[in-house]
Amino acid sequence: MQIYLPIAEMSVNLFFLVGIGAAVGFLSGLFGVGGGFLLTPLLIFSGVPTSVAVASVTGQVVAASTSGALSHYRRGGIDMHLALYLVLSGIIGAFGGVATFDLLRDAGQLDLVIAVGFLVLLGFIGVLMLIESTRALLKRRSGIVVRERLPNQHNWIHGLPMRVRFKKSKLYISVLPVLIIGLFIGFVGSLLGIGGGFIMVPALVYLLRVPGNVVIGTSLLQVVAMMAATTILHAVQSQSVDIMLAFSLMVGGVAGAQFGASAGKQLRGEQLRGLLALLVLAVAIRFGLTLVLAPADAFSMVVSGTGAGS
Amino acid sequence: MTWRRWLGALALLGALATPALGDRLLSTMSNDEIEITSSFDGEKMTFFGSIAPDAGAEQKFVDGPFQVIVVVLGPTADRTARQMTHNFGIWLNTDQVTFRKFPSYFHVLASDRLADITDITTLTTQFILPESHTLVPNNAGWWKTAVFGRQLVRLMTEQGLFGVNENGVNFLSDNTYSARLTLPSNAPPGPYIALTYVFKDGQIIARKSEGFAVRKIGFERFLALASVQQPLLYGVVCVILALFTGWLGGVLFKR
Repeated sequence: MQIYLPIAEMSVNLFFLVGIGAAVGFLSGLFGVGGGFLLTPLLIFSGVPTSVAVASVTGQVVAASTSGALSHYRRGGIDMHLALYLVLSGIIGAFGGVATFDLLRDAGQLDLVIAVGFLVLLGFIGVLMLIESTRALLKRRSGIVVRERLPNQHNWIHGLPMRVRFKKSKLYISVLPVLIIGLFIGFVGSLLGIGGGFIMVPALVYLLRVPGNVVIGTSLLQVVAMMAATTILHAVQSQSVDIMLAFSLMVGGVAGAQFGASAGKQLRGEQLRGLLALLVLAVAIRFGLTLVLAPADAFSMVVSGTGAGS
Repeated sequence: MTWRRWLGALALLGALATPALGDRLLSTMSNDEIEITSSFDGEKMTFFGSIAPDAGAEQKFVDGPFQVIVVVLGPTADRTARQMTHNFGIWLNTDQVTFRKFPSYFHVLASDRLADITDITTLTTQFILPESHTLVPNNAGWWKTAVFGRQLVRLMTEQGLFGVNENGVNFLSDNTYSARLTLPSNAPPGPYIALTYVFKDGQIIARKSEGFAVRKIGFERFLALASVQQPLLYGVVCVILALFTGWLGGVLFKR
């Protein structure tokens, strides 16, 4: 069944959209990430214009993260104070990201920057996760008890000025690293159409030493709020949010996430992180290849002036 | 700019070559409005016509053989062609040419090979050849304009937006014809013009232009308009829809 996307101005198979939404939703439920980093590339590789794909996936990420954020909120797994700082700085970052997005699109370099951005970011995070999970798996196998670093162990970040007490996270730390993390994720997330949960969670755990019981919830709330703001910014600035596309993806994604979450209970944490790392690396490599390999067509075209209208 | 003078000369030749119109063209088409709905997957159109003597002419019959060319021209927009080159080990866009008011859709249906119907001058000056649309003045210089113009026409052709069908017009009798066109699902919305030329011995003896519209209707039109006219509200609605879908999913599956 074909469905016409009014903003992308193309006709796509509805089952294909719901299907990739569900497949990515399954993986996002399995690994507890938003899935934007998989969905945006999939849409780009299947012919949706890059700008429409990025802007519409932000809407889908909001939906995918909402139910998770709500259930964590009910369980009290969110540090609202910390989330507030992250969200505010994230929205400022998103302004920068959307403005940069527009500039790059007009200059014809949007696809390049998105490919490089995915390659660097996913490659870096993927390698780190792979090393960490392999080490954990090997240690478990050799019988050595893995000694987790304790939350009260300090690093250089905890010596910075402007300290604020975050009661729920039992932290008394400088707001500077918090704001920088928020700004960075806001900027990168809105530019690449990803929620940034897979950057946020390690940043909160390893850099700020946020305790495990509030990490996921706080990160999810931040993703929901920041991606909601980004969706509105994209709608206003680049006018490339396709609500039909976003909704088709949401329906598949929300359903798929539920199955993914229950499947995730069958696997151990290190195994999940190892699999996620491989997935992240695969996407990074795919983007790397588009940069390095000769394109099938060296020429491309784009409507640059007054659009076709309606 | 010698080429501009050359084009001017071509236009003059074209004007001289157009004879007094002795016959007239009666034509119609199957739809004058194509509606893009949620299930829009392209649309077939048929153009019909008949060549008859001019009103009040003494002659009762028209004298063939005729050739007919139907040119369907879509809405125009500025279009940029870009070229990727290999620098520092990666491929990136390094050069571009923008073509102002370039047609977003252009199809030619003809009853015979274009080269057999008339000469290249007429085909170019009447904008019947797809390439003729790239031969308009451009600040990129004539060489780059020619190179990128050719590539742009090729890209448009690959997407089904440009095309030449040299047996797209069928004569039903000596002086009546029909032409079929399939508008693809990616046909850009907007005003379209169908220009019909009747040729005899390589000369245009009659021509007619008719307009039709491809437009989004109903919900699709509403969404497309809303995203441009009320972008803030549109964005807020997207977010509310996303929050609601996410919440509903959580409730339905009791997560």
